[in-house]
Amino acid sequence: MIHSTQTDDGIIIVRPGVQRLTAVNSKAFKDEIVALIDAGNSEFVIDFTSTTFLDSSGLGALAGVLKKIGHRGDLAVCGLGPDVMQMFTICRMDRVFSIYPDEAAALRALSEKS
Amino acid sequence: MISETFYLDHNLESIDPMVQLLVRTAENSLRQDVLGRFGICTSEALTNLVLHAKNCAPDAEMQIKLSETEIAVFLEVYDPEGADPFDLRKYATDLSEIDVMAEGGRGLGLIMACADHVAYGRVDNKYRLGLTFNKADKLG
Repeated sequence: MIHSTQTDDGIIIVRPGVQRLTAVNSKAFKDEIVALIDAGNSEFVIDFTSTTFLDSSGLGALAGVLKKIGHRGDLAVCGLGPDVMQMFTICRMDRVFSIYPDEAAALRALSEKS
Repeated sequence: MISETFYLDHNLESIDPMVQLLVRTAENSLRQDVLGRFGICTSEALTNLVLHAKNCAPDAEMQIKLSETEIAVFLEVYDPEGADPFDLRKYATDLSEIDVMAEGGRGLGLIMACADHVAYGRVDNKYRLGLTFNKADKLG
């Protein structure tokens, strides 16, 4: 379901590939990113520009991805629309994730860190 | 004024189309941020019911009523026939107490946080979750 590309710096850009990340598809979303982590990738940008809604399952999957990456790498999220941002804020996940307006800003931030 | 009844099949795939239908039905009655809370709450409530309703027939339909008054929009979700009663108010954990890295456990807390009022009880021989979303801010 996810679409992923790799930059020259080795950062993986993930687009969830669904408009709504919910209990129906959040496990597949997490499993596919975890497979990328298991393959040796450690720096990720997840671009939610095309995702208009996520529920607690989607948010939980994202927390699982962040835990899996741990201290070995980095994760940034970007392109959060108002409904997705509202969910992050209500669940206080805006304090946990590095959030950027778009892919360019997220990539710039990760490149500067590494 | 909204006054509509819907029926949800007992499977996960049916939830999201129903949530989107309910949001579209309520969109002219609630301010945008309240509508966002309404969407979150509806999604969590229906998912909880489909995943956790116990002892009901596997193909049991769930009745949903959406209505409004001058001051609020009301969502009523009836437990499927035969399901054990489940008053989520007794089990919800406040979102501030949930580990931000937890992969689960937010659903009930989200329902409590996103609705302006949550009720649960027996109505017409069935158990009903009642969620209220105030319009008051819209007027202010």
